[in-house]
Amino acid sequence: MTRRGLWIGLSLAAFTAVLLFVLARGFGRDPHEVPFQLRGKPAPDFTLKRLDTGAPVRLSELKGKPLVLNFWASWCGPCKAEHPVVAMAARRYGQEVQFYGVVFEDTEENARAFAGPPDPSFPQLTDERSRMAVDYGVTGVPETYFIDAQGILRDKVAYPIDPRTMMEKLAALKQSADPVSEVVR
Amino acid sequence: MTAWALGLILAAYAPQQAGSTPLDPAREARVQALGKQLRCPMCQGLSIADSNSSAARAQMDRVRELVATGKSDREIRAYFTSRYGEWALLEPPATGMNLLVWVLPLVLLVGGGLAIRRAMRRPAAAAPAPAPASEERKERPASDDPYLEAVRAELRR
Repeated sequence: MTRRGLWIGLSLAAFTAVLLFVLARGFGRDPHEVPFQLRGKPAPDFTLKRLDTGAPVRLSELKGKPLVLNFWASWCGPCKAEHPVVAMAARRYGQEVQFYGVVFEDTEENARAFAGPPDPSFPQLTDERSRMAVDYGVTGVPETYFIDAQGILRDKVAYPIDPRTMMEKLAALKQSADPVSEVVR
Repeated sequence: MTAWALGLILAAYAPQQAGSTPLDPAREARVQALGKQLRCPMCQGLSIADSNSSAARAQMDRVRELVATGKSDREIRAYFTSRYGEWALLEPPATGMNLLVWVLPLVLLVGGGLAIRRAMRRPAAAAPAPAPASEERKERPASDDPYLEAVRAELRR
């Protein structure tokens, strides 16, 4: 092989390698999966209003105990199936973990009708213009966020959560914050 | 099952709360321009300005609010990329790995152009060179025809 042929061959090989690398990066992940950029970062602060009493709820006042935030809407079909799962987890683990629902892009009237009678273990919050939801990087509903006792965003589930996943996520939250140690056994 | 599937399909487009009120024309134009640059998280390749989904409306409301509070375009883009990553931008910035996406087509274009140029030159060099016109003329026997001689003399001039 001539020196020139070798040079051309090497250039083509290098170009093909770069092309394959770019394609592998592009096709190696789900293009519809929105990255969760806030993982491991402090949860953005918020002050929201309770749907039942209208009382303000601030994130800064919830620190010291892990927190589960569940975003939902009355117009969201999968939220209807998911709601009892979160409500039951709130009743079962409410002593160690705080559970709050956040209404996303909905009217208060529809949200009240959806949520039913107020549940002290799973209060609902209204989010005007979904400002707080966008602050958290919500891409749609339902979505559930897991925040540790120090106010760090640990994880999120961007689909209707099932009881097993809820247990797993609470167990993972236990590892990052002592107060949850008794939650999942 | 059908109700579940219908719920999934209609969820993004169901009637919900209305979007926020548009700003004055100049600032609203900025809102729309920024909205065109941001990707709707629930759609297929649509910007939040072009989508009617609930998530896109929530994000447009946030863009409007950030514009109203005096944030620059760069700050607003940074706000969204800090939450949704570069995924949020319909046109990723030409930095890091993304640079390859911008540079590779250019490399292909220049490389292809050079290859075509080489290929076009090669057959011309390989083909037997035509004899110079002057030699041809030299080899050509002189004609007795005065008319042809006059034409040749004119061409030689």
